[in-house]
Amino acid sequence: MMLGRVAVPLAAAVTLALPAVLDDSALAVYVLLGLAAMVTVGVSLLMGYAGQVSLGQGAFYGVGAYTAALLALNGLPPLLGLLAAPVAAAAFALVVGLPLLRLRGHHLAFATLAMQLILLSLAGQLDFTGGDIGLQAIPPFSAWSFEAGGVTAYAYLTWAGLALVMLVTRNVIASRPGRALRALATSETAAASSGIPVGRYKLAVLALSAAFAGLAGGIYCFYTGYVAPGSFPVLISIQYIVMAVVGGLGTIWGAVVGAAAITLLVQGLDRLANLPGMPSYAPGVLSYAVYALVLIAVVLFLPNGLVPAIRRLLSRERPAKTR
Amino acid sequence: MLAVQGVSRSFGGVYAVRDVTLDVADGEVCGVIGPNGAGKSTLFNLITGHLAAERGEISFLGRRVDRLAPHRRARLGMSIVFQAARVFRGMTVRENVMVGLHGRTSAGFVAAALRLPRHRRDEREIAARADAALDRVGLSEWADRPADQLPIGQQRALQLARALCARPRLLLLDEPASGLRGQERERLAELVEELRAGGLTILLVEHDVAFVTRLADRIVVLDLGRVIADGPPAEVRNDPLVLAAYLGQSA
Ligand SMILES: Nc1ncnc2c1ncn2[C@@H]1O[C@H](COP(=O)(O)OP(=O)(O)OP(=O)(O)O)[C@@H](O)[C@H]1O
Ligand SMILES: [Mg+2]
Repeated sequence: MMLGRVAVPLAAAVTLALPAVLDDSALAVYVLLGLAAMVTVGVSLLMGYAGQVSLGQGAFYGVGAYTAALLALNGLPPLLGLLAAPVAAAAFALVVGLPLLRLRGHHLAFATLAMQLILLSLAGQLDFTGGDIGLQAIPPFSAWSFEAGGVTAYAYLTWAGLALVMLVTRNVIASRPGRALRALATSETAAASSGIPVGRYKLAVLALSAAFAGLAGGIYCFYTGYVAPGSFPVLISIQYIVMAVVGGLGTIWGAVVGAAAITLLVQGLDRLANLPGMPSYAPGVLSYAVYALVLIAVVLFLPNGLVPAIRRLLSRERPAKTR
Repeated sequence: MLAVQGVSRSFGGVYAVRDVTLDVADGEVCGVIGPNGAGKSTLFNLITGHLAAERGEISFLGRRVDRLAPHRRARLGMSIVFQAARVFRGMTVRENVMVGLHGRTSAGFVAAALRLPRHRRDEREIAARADAALDRVGLSEWADRPADQLPIGQQRALQLARALCARPRLLLLDEPASGLRGQERERLAELVEELRAGGLTILLVEHDVAFVTRLADRIVVLDLGRVIADGPPAEVRNDPLVLAAYLGQSA
């Protein structure tokens, strides 16, 4: 409680101040971090609260990006494209979730992974998605008289989106549907006995997490100006899970902290790997190795993730101070 | 109230429940006893819909329910307390009980995400009713604790509170007294008596024959998936088939 009252305004202030002080390359990282956090909040909701695994969140991210890109390229207002992105991703999740959510545990994980692979190969083959080259020359985001010119605008758009996603998640978790999700994570049988339509709730939470990913994808396509199958590799889905686990599954702030930790780590290693004298395979090897090592280290030493560990630390220290 | 008609269910060719017929009248407390593996829990799962019957019909409040999903039967007014404790992890005791009201309330994702007035009203009502149910089973002081840290006896009480919260017409209790100590057991018996006095229909599985005899208007005895006796407690206790089933088990 106390922690929240201090942390939330502080986080908001830092979020608002950062775009003013960061240079363009740092700001680019800031945008990507915010987008990753948006998807990761959905992963945390899906896995941490509702107990359903998805190794295919990157697919929903992609559906959102392609939807917004296609609409914008066909002359529709970018704002419409951005709003359609989460809707399309959620609709897609409802369709694929119907068969997929009959599976549990690692079966569900593999099936969602396969779903992403199929989607990527389709996007690489079909004409209207631009094949392997993808879609280019997507207009910048604009709404009414506002047009997103530089990185700063996207930074604000991204972090506003993230704030919205976090708020929705917080409200849902503490409510009747949120309790139903948390209940079915422990026991679907006991949840059903309390009158919860388990299948429908699992679909709904998948769709909600997909909508978050879709919104991030929509912003991403306007930000980069192009989308291609290569923008949504399977590694990206794994990365979201690593972020959620590192930050702490089943905490909203954990998703943001995890996304920040992994993004900054990967960026740092990227700079390291690209230093003169490093072999050409260094960037690839380092980024994969880092996911593996960080995941193992967290599972071993901080099984609940960073945010719960920090909370415990703070709540242990406070009574000591008053003494 | 509840009519089970020729219901069967087998696992791997072996019948766990075989051709069971059972009628429970409104306001009746019906005990179900039988040796381990007799099919009591399976019968409960068939009634509540967690298992599908291979044959037979089940009606509840004059309506066929054997094809309905478990959550639909729950919404018609069936509540069950499982034999194994099933409290929801990562939630407080109060939140666990609030889940019991799911079928009686309706605020969905949109109302929750936007914190609509309807949702706030629902939440207040749910919390108040959950607190009342917690009070009833004597768990008020535990309301804000994580549910999975409760001792086993309290976990059972928590499930009972969750079930009662939904204001069921039929309450199914699967060995509610197992693992409870003397005083807790007495308290449970008093609560069941209170519920009976309030007119609630109860199906009660229990190994403790004295416990069932005290509470039940009628006892049904299962053995190897079949009903071998059905009648008032005094009669059933002296039934030769029942004695044989119990002796057979202990031999
Ligand atoms: N899901 C299942 N799969 C296979 N066999 C099962 C299953 N559930 C129950 N059985 C079998 O059905 C029979 C009846 O089991 P059930 O749990 O209904 O007995 P019970 O009367 O509740 O016993 P207890 O007093 O030990 O709780 C047992 O032989 C059991 O092994
Ligand atoms: Mg049993």
